[in-house]
Amino acid sequence: MAARTMMAAAGLFVLGLILLIAGAVIEPAAPAISQSGESLIALGLTFIAIAVGFFFAWAAPS
Amino acid sequence: MEGEDSSNSGVKYLVGKTAGKSGVIAGLVATHIATIFGLWFYGARLPKFDFPSLNGYIYVGLPFGFTHPDVAFVVGGVFHYVDGILFGLIFALVVSPMMGRIIKPLAAMTPTANYIKGLIWGWTLWIISSALWMPLLIGPILAPYGAPVGTFLTSFGPYGVQALLANLLWHTIWGANLGLIFSPRPASGGVRSWTRATAAEMR
Repeated sequence: MAARTMMAAAGLFVLGLILLIAGAVIEPAAPAISQSGESLIALGLTFIAIAVGFFFAWAAPS
Repeated sequence: MEGEDSSNSGVKYLVGKTAGKSGVIAGLVATHIATIFGLWFYGARLPKFDFPSLNGYIYVGLPFGFTHPDVAFVVGGVFHYVDGILFGLIFALVVSPMMGRIIKPLAAMTPTANYIKGLIWGWTLWIISSALWMPLLIGPILAPYGAPVGTFLTSFGPYGVQALLANLLWHTIWGANLGLIFSPRPASGGVRSWTRATAAEMR
């Protein structure tokens, strides 16, 4: 169970990184904004935050 | 910092000795971390989420809030932090035990189950924030100044759906911190599940 949870968290982290990089590539130089770029950045950071939290929870002593 | 419940419920917490105190501390930490990250969002090219000022616009009104941004920030900040702490307290005393009884995979008192419960509570508040708080309270205040919110926060000022997703990120950070810090565990080690009696003993 713990190993599967960590694999899922690692998958979320990688997915978040991919979305974040894609968003950063799409995003035009400031001050212009891209709805798609910012959306991907927000989703990517969300997945990364969830995955990092899973890692902290997994690493916490029970 | 770690404490065992003095009521002999057999539950210990990462911080504080009772569910109430632990929930208040977790709510304060989660609210502060999420608020600071929201103010930093623009560094990652996301809409800046200044919840203290948005709350301030409700309580001091506009255009006063625009001409006195420091007053709006401080007054709104007080209410924003109190809201966050009380949502943490509600999570600790009501929502977390309830989820433990209703959602069987989350019954065990483990850091991972506690974390997932925090995330679910954060996402619940994200839906309430995006579907009700922003469109019904902030929208009418900012619309005359050219910054409508739109249905489900899909057209906040110059932003489109990215404001909704940045709000999701904000509430994910809040829920993650809440679930990681409010983490009841069996005092004797091992795994223990939530029961109706456990929730009553913890109060």
